[in-house]
Amino acid sequence: MGRVTRRQLTDLPGTLSLLIALVLASILAVLAFGLPALDRAVPAERPVAAGEPYRVAAGVTIVPPDGASLDATGTRPGAERGTALFRLGRVQYAIGVEPFKGDLTAAAVRLRQRITGTSGNQVTGTHLTVSTAGGLAGVEGGYTAGDRDGRYAVFVADGLIIEVMVSGDDADLERALPRIDASTRTLRYETEK
Amino acid sequence: MSDAVRPGTTRSAAFLRQPAFWVVITIVAAGAVRISQIAVLFFTAYPVATITAILLFALLAVPFWLFVSELDFLEREPPSLRVLAFAWGGLVATSVSIPGSIALDNLIAKLGSPDLAAEWGAALAGPTVEEIAKTLGVVAIVLIARAQVNSVLDGIVYGALVGLGFQIVEDVIFAIGAVQQAGEGDQVQPVITTFLVRGFLAGVWSHTLFGALAGAGIGYLVVNRHRSRGRRIAVAALALFAAWASHSLWNSPLFRESLGDGAPALLAVLVFKGLPPLLLVLYLVRRAHDREAAYYVGVLATVRDPALITEGELRVLGSGSRRGAARRHAAVHAGRKARSAVRRLQRAQAALAVALSRDPDGPAEAEATAVREHRATLAALGHPEAVEGARSWRHTASTVGTAALAIAVLWVALSALGS
Repeated sequence: MGRVTRRQLTDLPGTLSLLIALVLASILAVLAFGLPALDRAVPAERPVAAGEPYRVAAGVTIVPPDGASLDATGTRPGAERGTALFRLGRVQYAIGVEPFKGDLTAAAVRLRQRITGTSGNQVTGTHLTVSTAGGLAGVEGGYTAGDRDGRYAVFVADGLIIEVMVSGDDADLERALPRIDASTRTLRYETEK
Repeated sequence: MSDAVRPGTTRSAAFLRQPAFWVVITIVAAGAVRISQIAVLFFTAYPVATITAILLFALLAVPFWLFVSELDFLEREPPSLRVLAFAWGGLVATSVSIPGSIALDNLIAKLGSPDLAAEWGAALAGPTVEEIAKTLGVVAIVLIARAQVNSVLDGIVYGALVGLGFQIVEDVIFAIGAVQQAGEGDQVQPVITTFLVRGFLAGVWSHTLFGALAGAGIGYLVVNRHRSRGRRIAVAALALFAAWASHSLWNSPLFRESLGDGAPALLAVLVFKGLPPLLLVLYLVRRAHDREAAYYVGVLATVRDPALITEGELRVLGSGSRRGAARRHAAVHAGRKARSAVRRLQRAQAALAVALSRDPDGPAEAEATAVREHRATLAALGHPEAVEGARSWRHTASTVGTAALAIAVLWVALSALGS
């Protein structure tokens, strides 16, 4: 064991440690603010094939609305669960699929509670029954989220819950809803072999 | 000079005079504000679930905290720095990682594809941002108290505490996310499930482990000054990569579907994904501990005063299992008070070793007096020397029983979650 020198007994010199501390703060800033800024700078929207079924997850497909684009940030396909996010101008059209053990009533209650669980959201009116061309039965309704309006629909199929959420400002939504309703009716579930 | 330990000083009051200290404190304060904002949102929406989650995961933190704090028995880290490490993980690393990981995951989806992000996003984005943010916590400790990072084991302890802080706060956030996802209001069931999965099953091989790996690298970088700078930086980078790779393996889709569901599949995943980094960290801890212990025992061996430490105690002090055996022997031979007295004596001897390492020519009178006082207490109890006795069958039976119980509990939990 050798001698311990005075140099070894001291902490880092103040100027150097301050410099390194500022570098450290800069790295944190890059992670917390730089990456999100870069994320915002890279376009998220991708074209989708018109009239072609889009695979959401777990055997659930949907034909996107005419003129819609796919938002890569809200789209995560998967074998058991997944999401797809389409955009029609400023209107968001999201479909989520995940395993679910309850019936349609429980699914509707769950989705409405999730909507109202977000501060400022309110479910409006009563829900209506809806069905798709592929034979899925569900319910749909409306909600408000601050200055945006929204529509929701929920379906249950073979241990899966399929949730549809649409949001946008009043005028945009009114224009897009016919195309979105037509798209929702193309929801189809087929067991993946 | 020994590779194992780089003696420091006890100058905690000097923290306040360092500009870097105030930079670090400002960063921690900013993290505290951000996490408080998230906590307020949680409390407003799900008060019962939030309180339950905080209580459960705070309880989970206790054994981890005690275990990690005890890793470096001979030269314990100051409580203030341990708290700072934990706070960095829980407040800073989490605050940074939430937006950073989401952004990186989005970039993978945009520049690659949504399929790639769905499959590998969690394995690439989270580890990249989180391991950097956590490792910077150990760097922050070095910046403001380099004298307190004087062995690889110190780096492991600080890294593990940063990881523990991160793990606990992240688990609470995941638990409330599960409550929100369940859509059943302010229910505690999703919190319990999250606790079982993330706390109980995945807790051992989670951020505490990854942080310890990266911390070992920073410890090596700081302590081994006789090595070339390039080599030290390479080792630190390798340790950070090991932490990243362990985290990435844990988050990866490998074995997720091929092994199916059920308890055996869950156990296989734990073994394949969790065991390699756990064994690596245990090896590093053992090696770093033994090297540090050999250094401090060597320091005490120069004392040559049986009132301070005997030959038998020198042999005991360098090994965690022998220290424990000496306490058990004292309990059997002279009762529970003797057990506590042996523990205090061992602590005092360790403090003396640290004091002598920092100033070999100094008197270390306060530490020596403390050792003599504890020795006198022990002698009064009829147990003058803190040495280990013969291995008892009761201890062996207790060890085997505890291991069997742990395996049974693990199997029940795996069966419940796998069904």
